[in-house]
Amino acid sequence: MVQAVAPAMIDDATIERSPGYWSTVWRRFRRDPVAMIALGVIVLLILIAILAPYIAPHDPFRGATLRRLRPPGTPGYLLGTDELGRDMLSRLIYGARLSLFMGVTPVFLALFIGSAIGVTAGYVGGIVNTLLMRTIDIIFAFPSVLLAIALSGAMGAGIVNGLISLTIVFIPPIARIAESVTTSVRSLDYVEAARASGAGALSIVRKHVLGNVLGPIFVYAMSLIAVSMILASGLSFLGLGVRPPEPEWGLMLNTLRTALYTQPMLCALPGIMIFITSISFNLLTDGLRSAMDIKA
Amino acid sequence: MNTMSDPILDIRGLTVTFGGGPKPVRALDGVDLALGRGEVIALLGESGSGKSVTLRSILRLHPPKRSRIEGSIKVEGIDVTSLEGRALESFRGKTVSMVFQEPMLAMDPVYTVGQQITEAVRNHEKISAADARARALEMLTLVRIPSPERRLAAYPHEMSGGMRQRAMIALALASKPHILLADEPTTALDATVQVQILLLLRELQRELGLSMIFVTHDISVAVEVADRIAVMYAGRIVETGTVRDVIRTPRHPYTIGLLSTRAHGGRLEGHRLPAIPGSPPDLANLPPGCAFAPRCAIAADACRASVPEPVDLGGGHRVRCFRTAETVNKVAALAPAVTS
Amino acid sequence: MASDTVMTRAPAAAQATGSEPVRPLLEAADLVKHFPIKSGLLGRSNAVVRAVDGVTFSLYPGETLGIVGESGCGKSTTARVLMNLIKPDSGNVLLNGRAPGTPELSLKAFRSQVQMVFQDSYASLNPRLTVEDSIAYGPTVHGVSGTDAVRRARRLLDRVGLDPRRFAGRYPHELSGGQRQRVNIARALALEPKVIILDEAVSALDKSVEAQVLNLLLDLKEEIGLTYIFISHDLEVVRFIANRVMVMYLGRVAEIGPTDALYTGGRHPYTTALLGSMLSMDPDERTMEAPLAGDPPNPIDPPSGCRFHTRCSFAESVCSAKTPALTVSGTGHFTACHMVDPGSGHSKAAA
Repeated sequence: MVQAVAPAMIDDATIERSPGYWSTVWRRFRRDPVAMIALGVIVLLILIAILAPYIAPHDPFRGATLRRLRPPGTPGYLLGTDELGRDMLSRLIYGARLSLFMGVTPVFLALFIGSAIGVTAGYVGGIVNTLLMRTIDIIFAFPSVLLAIALSGAMGAGIVNGLISLTIVFIPPIARIAESVTTSVRSLDYVEAARASGAGALSIVRKHVLGNVLGPIFVYAMSLIAVSMILASGLSFLGLGVRPPEPEWGLMLNTLRTALYTQPMLCALPGIMIFITSISFNLLTDGLRSAMDIKA
Repeated sequence: MNTMSDPILDIRGLTVTFGGGPKPVRALDGVDLALGRGEVIALLGESGSGKSVTLRSILRLHPPKRSRIEGSIKVEGIDVTSLEGRALESFRGKTVSMVFQEPMLAMDPVYTVGQQITEAVRNHEKISAADARARALEMLTLVRIPSPERRLAAYPHEMSGGMRQRAMIALALASKPHILLADEPTTALDATVQVQILLLLRELQRELGLSMIFVTHDISVAVEVADRIAVMYAGRIVETGTVRDVIRTPRHPYTIGLLSTRAHGGRLEGHRLPAIPGSPPDLANLPPGCAFAPRCAIAADACRASVPEPVDLGGGHRVRCFRTAETVNKVAALAPAVTS
Repeated sequence: MASDTVMTRAPAAAQATGSEPVRPLLEAADLVKHFPIKSGLLGRSNAVVRAVDGVTFSLYPGETLGIVGESGCGKSTTARVLMNLIKPDSGNVLLNGRAPGTPELSLKAFRSQVQMVFQDSYASLNPRLTVEDSIAYGPTVHGVSGTDAVRRARRLLDRVGLDPRRFAGRYPHELSGGQRQRVNIARALALEPKVIILDEAVSALDKSVEAQVLNLLLDLKEEIGLTYIFISHDLEVVRFIANRVMVMYLGRVAEIGPTDALYTGGRHPYTTALLGSMLSMDPDERTMEAPLAGDPPNPIDPPSGCRFHTRCSFAESVCSAKTPALTVSGTGHFTACHMVDPGSGHSKAAA
């Protein structure tokens, strides 16, 4: 079995490389049509948000009292106008900017902070774990909607305060997941083997723990984006978070509710956008989760 | 055991293909197996050889959406592959029942052993709760569990590994099946406990006149319990015969390799084990000919070109090999070369 | 005794048992490791698993020491304590007479000399690293440059029978169990250790592949001059590979001695029972009676005195009252049984 190959030949040999983990995941992901459509929708939404000034037919802030609450299909105003006579299509297009921002930013901030807490607690264990995780549990004990409202309310309305309160809401669940995944990875034989080779804790965490922990945490965080969008919309709806006249889907839902009985279709439009976005993120998460299970 | 004219279980041309993955996997390819009444057959093979797939096919345990099953499986004259609904339910457990490798996974952790046996009995028979309970007690006594009354109220996790496997056997036998399928029932057990369970199964089989298929990867276990051995490799039965024939005069190069590869007795200094080179084949990429040909020392061109049909060597000893002429009395000579 | 058997054993083991004492490479002195069982709201522990309870033995350079025993006997915990992966409650491990984690022998230096191969070939490789990265990781930790470590990894792959051109860039899930275990062996060799602890390293492999890996281990041992601790529940395999065998029962050493002496003349009733559980491979010589009844007792609450007395057919009152010490029962052969100890008071003890 053991071939007598000169060592030099091996050193310089061209090594047949397997595709990396993430390219394997991508290959599997591409075969999942539902997940690919969800990804397409999300990319489209991001493009819409970026290109809003170029594709919006009207100024989203300029209204006219004469053409208030026109139904969708009105000539010149494809999706109608809102209660101040502003073009709905343009406001929905511009709304993608703030809504996506409010949905994605807190999750990424929480992903960063939460996984730092969770991985530390999981890897170090013992008293550090107890202290960190019990603190997290206290925050986690509050229902997320109530906590977000209470924090925003205490700090006052505004985009930044909304972001901060949402971030705080999302840290505990992410830290929890990070802690449990780290604890299970930590006890695997390959981490033991790395310890047995004399490696220090930081090196092991960087090389062996993070790579295997961040994937599952990231997948979980993706599923929170939908929640975050809905919560952000909820805050705006309640008058916290984004303030008028900024176009944001949740806020639009709030201001349009007065017209619920006269123009139900119009009122539903921002809700439909929130629904499409959140379901796309959820389907994307599902696809990612099964694609990442490369042993299956 | 010459009841082959009327086998209780008759499998013909069983082929199982699993889809779902990137490539369909042919787990079984034309398996023929006949089990006589009161007979014990050991299905012997390594991981991926198809031994467990065969067993699960008999109970129709494969997910119908992801697997395609061809061929016929007849149990007491009834075609299992066409059973549906109630008929399938009463077939499982009542006619054929199974003992698994890991009783901890096969038993429900939230019910006591007694509750599980009682429920199994009442699923198949219309008897009173008291009678079912009496049956459960009778079963635990049958499998020689000490103080069975007390054990009825025990949960699976409260029992030791050996006791749990006994309880699993009691559960499998509760509805008085005619055929018992055993899937590596002693593999997870300690050596001293394995012997006890093997002896128990052998005694029960004799007492109750059970017909049994015993799946194992360990030849010595097969020798302890079986009347006949069927050696599987890459989804095919490559050799069948009585235990004596297969152990003493193996004729398939794979069986010969397996037998000579066992570490037996001490080692002389510098001595190495004769090892079969290479790895078991990938079921999604089987070679066109004999699946063992790439690892076989005597493979010829014919072996790589087509799959050999079974050759009857007399006395029910059948081998799927083109080169049986080369494997007569050449056990030692054909033992694979020492490799590492 | 079987000392005059035709089978010659590694010279070191013979020396170890001879008059000229060879200095042990690795020593375990009275190792104790108990695991508390957490229960209750505040995680109070009111019971302990006595996984390892006073284990003493020496490992001599160049030999293969087999450790056998059933589940709960403490063989895997012993391995992890030896590796310093878990700290013993008491007792110590010495490498060349020095304790790891002291100024004379840092933990890092100790770990480069003692390596381990685990049972689960998949779980012991990082799924996100290529095979060569996994092997090269250890050397980089010890200051070898990245390119040199990769070069070393490729040579080792070649050495364990995997062509680096085909395997170096692969991921663990793309390999078969036998190939992965070869990678694990290469990884253990990467730090150029003196001792390798093989914890059920071939148990999960198919028989046809197991033989290949055993042969590889023997080749490596001869070429590099390694010393092995081979932990297994498979008595046939241990008999094949080990020079000396240690039998453990419920956290204690029951018997330790040269392989042939132990397999042909084991003195502890547990050794006899364990060996009697080996199946014969002969259809005309089937096992008719199980050598032992019941399962091994729970290590949470082990029996008093000799822990085997609850299952032993020779047990007398002294067995439950007094713990037997390891007593010389042959050349380099020690048995912890009152029947071997002349002054124990057991009726079968030689006076």
